[in-house]
Amino acid sequence: MHALEELFPASDFTLLAFIVLLPLIGAAVNGVFGKRLGRQAVTLMGLGAVFVSFVFAVVTFFVLKSHSGEGESPKLIWKGWEWMKLSLAQNGGSTSLWVSLSVDALSGTMALIVTGIGFLIHLYSSKYMEDDPGFYRFFTYLNLFIFSMLVLILGDSLPVLFVGWEGVGLCSYLLIGFWFGEEKNAAAGKKAFITNRIGDFGLLVAMGLILYYCGALDWAGMEAARGNLLSQVQIWPLGDHVPLANILGDSAGAWLNTPRTVSAATLVALFLFLGCAGKSAQLPLYVWLPDAMAGPTPVSALIHAATMVTAGVYLMCRTAAIFVLSPGAMFVVALIGGLTAVLAATIAFAQNDIKKVLAYSTVSQLGYMFLGAGVGAFTAGFFHVLTHAFFKACMFLGAGSVIHAMHARIHDTDASQDMRNMGGLRKYMPYTFWTFAISWAAIIGIPGTSGFFSKDEILLKAYSSYIATQSSVPDGFEWPKWGGTLLYALGFAGAIMTAFYMTRLFIGTFFGEFRGWTIVKNWKAPAHEHGHHHHHDPDELLDGPAPHESPWQMWVPLAVLAVGAAFGGFLNAGALELFHIELMPLDHFLEPVFEKAAANVRVIEGGEHLLGTFLGLALVAVALGAGGAYYVYVQMKGEPARAFTEKFPGLHRLVFDKWRVDELYEETVIGAVDSLAEFGAWADKWIVDGILAKLSSFLVRAAGSLLRQLQTGRIQAYAAVMVVGLGAVGWFLIAPHANAKVVSNHASGAYSVTATPGLGYSYRWDEDGDGKPDSETFGNKNSVELKLDVDKRRTVQLEVKNAFGQVATRSFELARPKPDKSGLSDRAPEQPQPARPGAPPPGNQLPPGHPAIPQGH
Amino acid sequence: MNILGNVVEHYVLLSALIFTIGSIGFLVRRNVLVQLMSIELMLNAVNLALVAFNRRHVGDMNGQVFSFFIIAVAAAEAAVGLAIVLSFYRLKQSVFSDDADQLRL
Repeated sequence: MHALEELFPASDFTLLAFIVLLPLIGAAVNGVFGKRLGRQAVTLMGLGAVFVSFVFAVVTFFVLKSHSGEGESPKLIWKGWEWMKLSLAQNGGSTSLWVSLSVDALSGTMALIVTGIGFLIHLYSSKYMEDDPGFYRFFTYLNLFIFSMLVLILGDSLPVLFVGWEGVGLCSYLLIGFWFGEEKNAAAGKKAFITNRIGDFGLLVAMGLILYYCGALDWAGMEAARGNLLSQVQIWPLGDHVPLANILGDSAGAWLNTPRTVSAATLVALFLFLGCAGKSAQLPLYVWLPDAMAGPTPVSALIHAATMVTAGVYLMCRTAAIFVLSPGAMFVVALIGGLTAVLAATIAFAQNDIKKVLAYSTVSQLGYMFLGAGVGAFTAGFFHVLTHAFFKACMFLGAGSVIHAMHARIHDTDASQDMRNMGGLRKYMPYTFWTFAISWAAIIGIPGTSGFFSKDEILLKAYSSYIATQSSVPDGFEWPKWGGTLLYALGFAGAIMTAFYMTRLFIGTFFGEFRGWTIVKNWKAPAHEHGHHHHHDPDELLDGPAPHESPWQMWVPLAVLAVGAAFGGFLNAGALELFHIELMPLDHFLEPVFEKAAANVRVIEGGEHLLGTFLGLALVAVALGAGGAYYVYVQMKGEPARAFTEKFPGLHRLVFDKWRVDELYEETVIGAVDSLAEFGAWADKWIVDGILAKLSSFLVRAAGSLLRQLQTGRIQAYAAVMVVGLGAVGWFLIAPHANAKVVSNHASGAYSVTATPGLGYSYRWDEDGDGKPDSETFGNKNSVELKLDVDKRRTVQLEVKNAFGQVATRSFELARPKPDKSGLSDRAPEQPQPARPGAPPPGNQLPPGHPAIPQGH
Repeated sequence: MNILGNVVEHYVLLSALIFTIGSIGFLVRRNVLVQLMSIELMLNAVNLALVAFNRRHVGDMNGQVFSFFIIAVAAAEAAVGLAIVLSFYRLKQSVFSDDADQLRL
C-alpha cells in the first residue's frame, strides 16, 4: 500500500487514466480488428480490459480508503491537459478547463459498481451472445460504454462528465438498436436518443448558468463558489414587459407584468434535474426506458438497470451542494421521484413481457432514488443505486437466462419473453431460480436483504427529512408541512405495488406448470416474420428440448450478483440501529462528500424515534403486496385478476397501454414538431422552390426565349446587324462634338475652357460673350483663359468644325459668386470641409473642377 | 509629285463603291459562293484604298505592304472558305447560307 501511494501520489493519480483508458483500448481493438480476431480473442480482449480496469478500481478504492483518515474528504486527482480557456462574464477574467479525472468516496464506489458489475455482465454476454453474428460489435459497444461511463463518473468537471454523459447515451443508442434489422429496435434506439437530448439540453443550460454565476465548472470550484448562486434571477417577463398584456385589462396586464424572481440555485438545480430526469428516466421523460428493452438482455441489465440510468442520481449526488441551496427544486425532485415510483409501478401490473415488467420496475426504483436524494438523504439515494445495481442486474440477467432457455424452445423473441409462456421453470433452472429468488426478496424488501435496508431508509427519510429554507435565499420556499406525509404515502404505495407485481412476475415465471409446451392462445404473433423464427399456430405442441439451465458463464455472474443483493445491505444497515448495532460503513465513507450539502438538511421533530414504526410499516407493505399477489395468483390461480380485467376492461386496457403516455406525447410534442416540419416542408415547396427557384427560373427562361428570337442562326442577319452598328459608329465619327472641360477657380477668378480634341477638328471661340464669334475662320486654338470679377458672369461659346465641314456649337456659362458674408469661405481654406457627395455646395457655387452646366447649343 | 496628282479622291470613291457592292452582295445573296466572292470584293476595295492613300506618303511603304498581307490572308481565307463550302455541300446538298442554321436550337 505504501509503495502504491508513492507510485501514485494523490495529486497525480495516474491510475485513473488507466482505469478509463483500458476499456477504450478494448473497444478500439475489437472495433477495428474484431471481425478477423475470432470470438475467443474478442472475448479475451473485451473481458480482459474491463477486468483489469476493475482491479485498478479496487486498488484505487483501497488507496482512497487509506487516505480517508486525513480529515478533509479524500480525493485523488489526475490532471490530464488543459482543454480550453473560458472567459467569464462576471468579472472579465478567465478560467481554464482541464481534462482531469478525480475520484472520491462517491465516484470510487460508483466506479466499483460499473467495472465490477460491468465485468460480470461481459462474462455473461460472452455466452448469451455466443451465436450472434455481431459478436465483436457487441463487445466493442460494451467496452465503449464502460469507457464512457467511467469518464462520466471520474470526470473532475461538468464538461468532462458531459462527454461521458453523451458517450453513454450514444452506446445506449447503439446497443438498444443492436438488432437494427427490425424496425422497432431501431425506433426504440432513436426514441431513447432523442428523449435524452431534451435532458441534455437542461444539462447544457445548467452548465452555462453555473459557469456564469460560479466562474468554475470543476467540482471543487463549483462548491467553493456556490454562494453566488443565491442571487436573484428575474425569470418573468422575459423582456421589459409582456407584449400586448394590456389587452387583457389593466389588472390582468399588471399581474402579467409583475416581475417574478427565483434564485439562480433554483434555476440551476431544475435544469440539472431535467438532465437527470432524461438520463434516469423520470417523469416526464421516462418513456424511452421501457422501449429500450429492445436491446439484448445483458444491455438491459448493464445500461438500463445497473449503471447508465443511475447516472442522473450520481450527478445529483455530485452536485448535492448546489441542489440543497434550493428547497423548492429539491421538493420538485422528491415529488417527481415519488410520482414516478408510483406511476411506473402501476404500469408494471398489467405487462406480460418479463423485460417490460423489469423495465417499469427500474423506472419505479429510480424514482425511489430521486425521492431519497430529493429530501436530502443523498447517502440513502446513492445506497439504493448500489443495492439496485445488484438486485436489478441479477433479475435482468436471470430474465435473460430464462429468455435464453425459452428461446431455445420457441425461437421467437417476443414469445420467449412472454410470461404467459413460462411457469414452473424452478424445476428446470435451479441456479436461475435461486438467484432470482434472492433478488426478488431484495427488491420487495424482505428484512435482511439489501433492498430492505436501502428502500426503507429512503422511505423513513422521505417522511422525516427536509431541506431548510435559507434566510438569504430570495425564493422563500418553505418545505410544506404535509410534504413528508405526501412523499411517504407515494413511497409506501409504491412499495406495496412493487411487492405485488414482482411477486406476480416471480410466481408467473418459476412456479406452477410450464406453459411453454404450447403457444398461449392470446399471444399475438409478431407483425413480420424473419429468418429462422417460425410461425406457430395456437395450441400447437412445440418440438424442442425442455428448458435447461444456462452454462456457467451465465449463472456465475448471477450467483455473484445474488450474493451482493443478499448481503449488500449491510454496507449501510441503518435499520440495525433498532437493535443498537451501528453498521454503516458506506455512510461514514460518503459523509465527507455530502458534508456541505448535509448542513442544509433538517430532520423533523421526533424524526429520530420513528425508525421502529417505519420498519413495521415497511413490513406491512411487503406483506400486503406479496401476500396479495400470492393470494391472487397462487391460491385463486389468477381468478381475481381476470375478474378485475373483465369488470374494468377500459381501465385494464389503459394500464396495459401504459396510460397512453406515448400516445399523448405523440399527439402533443411530436405532433407539434411534425406540424412544424410540415410547415417547413410547405415553405420549402412553395416559397423556396415555388417563388425563389421557379419564379426566377421562369424570368430567366422568358428573357431567354425573347432574346432567342434574335439568334436566327443565319450568318447574314448577323452581318446586317454588324453593318448597322458600323454605320452608327461611322455617323458618330462624322458628326462633330462640341465638348469642353471647364476649370473654375472662384477665389482668384481665373477660368479656363478646354475643348476636347477630335480627329480633324478646328475651333472658333466667342470668348468675350458678345454673341458673335471672335474670328471669321476656324483655327487650332483649343482653349480659352479668362478672368472674371466678383459677381460677374459670362457666356463662352465654342464652335467645332470637323474634316467634313460640319459645325457644332455649344455655350458654357461661367459665373463668379460673391464671397460668403458669414466668413465661412474665409475660414474655408484653413478648415477644408470634405465635400459631401450629392450635397449642393453653399451659395450655389460650383466646386473647383466641376464642369459648368451646358446651356444648349 | 506624280502623274496621279491630287486624284486620290477618285480611287477612294472607287474603293468605297466596290466595298459597298461587296457588302450589299454579301448581305443579299444566299449563295455561299457568291458571298465568298463578295468578301473578296470588299477585301480588294480595302487594298485599293490602302494603296491609293499610300501614294500620299512618299517614302513610306506601309500601305502597300499591308495590302500584300491582305492578299495573302485573302488567298488562305478563300481556300478555307471553299473547303467549308464543299463540306457544307456534302452535308446538306446545298450551297445556300440559309440552310446553315445548325447552331440554332
